Amino acid sequence: MKKIGIIVLSMIFSLNLFAQEKTQTPLRIIAFGAHPDDCDSKFGGTAALFAQLGHKVKFVSLTNGDAGHQSMGGGILGKRRREEAHRAGAILGIEYDVLDNHDAELIPTLHVRHQVIRKIREWNADIVLGLRPNDYHPDHRNAGVVVQDAAYLVIVPNVTPDTPPLKKNPVFLYMNDRFQKPYPFSKDIAVVIDNVLDKKVEALAAHDSQMFEWLPWVSGVKESDVPKGKANRLAWLKKRYAGRKTWSKEDEGVLKKWYPSRDLSTVKHIEFFEICEYGKQPSKEEIMQLFPMLNH
Amino acid sequence: MKNYYLKVLIAFCMVIGWQDSYAQNTTKKVLNIIVFGAHPDDCDNKIGGTAALFAEMGHRVKFVSVTNGDAGHFAKGGGNLAKIRRVEAQEAAKRLGIDAYTVLDNHDAELFPTLDIRHQIIREIRTWNADVVLTHRPVDYHPDHRYTGVLVQDAAYLVIVPNVTPDTPPLEKNPVFLYLQDHFQKPYPFKADIAVDITSVFSKKMDALDAHSSQFYEWLPWTEGALNTVPETEKEKREFLIKNWSRTIQPEVRASLKKWYGEKKANAAIHAEAFEICEYGKQPTDEEIRLLFPMLTNNN
Repeated sequence: MKKIGIIVLSMIFSLNLFAQEKTQTPLRIIAFGAHPDDCDSKFGGTAALFAQLGHKVKFVSLTNGDAGHQSMGGGILGKRRREEAHRAGAILGIEYDVLDNHDAELIPTLHVRHQVIRKIREWNADIVLGLRPNDYHPDHRNAGVVVQDAAYLVIVPNVTPDTPPLKKNPVFLYMNDRFQKPYPFSKDIAVVIDNVLDKKVEALAAHDSQMFEWLPWVSGVKESDVPKGKANRLAWLKKRYAGRKTWSKEDEGVLKKWYPSRDLSTVKHIEFFEICEYGKQPSKEEIMQLFPMLNH
Repeated sequence: MKNYYLKVLIAFCMVIGWQDSYAQNTTKKVLNIIVFGAHPDDCDNKIGGTAALFAEMGHRVKFVSVTNGDAGHFAKGGGNLAKIRRVEAQEAAKRLGIDAYTVLDNHDAELFPTLDIRHQIIREIRTWNADVVLTHRPVDYHPDHRYTGVLVQDAAYLVIVPNVTPDTPPLEKNPVFLYLQDHFQKPYPFKADIAVDITSVFSKKMDALDAHSSQFYEWLPWTEGALNTVPETEKEKREFLIKNWSRTIQPEVRASLKKWYGEKKANAAIHAEAFEICEYGKQPTDEEIRLLFPMLTNNN
């Protein structure tokens, strides 16, 4: 009887082994924006694709967005934006955390750096995304600095010792911006998001305090020009933030690199990422593993 | 009868409206320029000539020193030195003909880009209702210069956000932000997007530097080990200032002068000041730059 038991046990073990080889461990991705809606607008499409493939994505807003409105503010606005972020997260199929640092007052202090280190460690991240430290808003620049400053330190046990360190420095990436100095954004990775564009626009629309109130106001759009009703609003937002782009020769080159066996003449929407020098420096094969939607 | 009055009222409104738009089109708008330097004398040295030209044309210029300059001397210091430098700044403003020179009471050589100083700067820009904001690049040689650059950059955009520094009403539009010229090469060299011929007001600029006597005749020569070269008489002092503080026009600045003034005027210029457009403010077209810098003319 003992023998049979051992045989059965070993059969179960080998079945388990078989299962481990077959089932891929989900990738774990964490993106840091300065305000609730930053990650959505720069990474929302790719995040939705990761989620559809069964990978785990978390967005973190480093401020609570409590200054981003023309007639609301403080805790009330912070609360509204946290709820909007949770709705957007549900639409994209991801988690969304909003930290309670004040909007327009983000400074790259040790306290915020430690918040970021804990978030990366707790998520056991393979990929960390952040903003470049030369984006237009001081909160964006400081968010970029604070995420850069977490790179490498996430593996150091004596740093933020209340949270166990990661075993490996993740890959750190920047989300796209248009700034040219001190150097322009380098489009290292391109992800085609045409299949999930509507989902991305829907997630953006979940931030209605921003998309239909504050951002139109601050860019001089009349309140009466912002449409009412869900369908009209989605169409308006899609036109405003996801218009058909034309691609430069450089963009086409990047696309061909990551989608060698795909007809690219129909591609309409792309999200670009730049590799940060402070994280793990991935090879082309490693990038293909970390972005399994590439070349599909 | 009612109808008649209504017609008269409409006609009246039309005339008023026409006059209004006529006035807006023909009357030159008074421009509001604000410049942030780290120390009392930085603005004078970098944009004193252009400021004098703005002032001559009836525009409003304000200089702000973000520190009080209380470390800039070998034998004086603290509140006593700050007091001397504040008086010098007022005298320099008078000589340039500009409207205001504010010296904030932050300590010299201890400037950090904190929120409270960012808010001081946001308030200054808003209360001046600025069209153009100028400052150091965040790569200049002195930490106070670098942090002044960071602080002013960080005010860009936020000056239009009502929830930020809500004690002072926001601007309706993000101003144009410009950098003052420096010679640093990393991470990238200064770019002379705009160049102003200051030959006609160069002596006014030297008058302004002369007003900061604690600096140009005491502290700055001392740091060079050249205190004994400072002359006594007014005539010799002027020659000393010109020798040490007039810059030859670099090729890239000359090229920019040609763009804005045409070949002939640009080649005749002896003194110039140059400015770089910061990416975080309004991005002006060439036409808008000419409206904001009305001294840029190429009619000979």
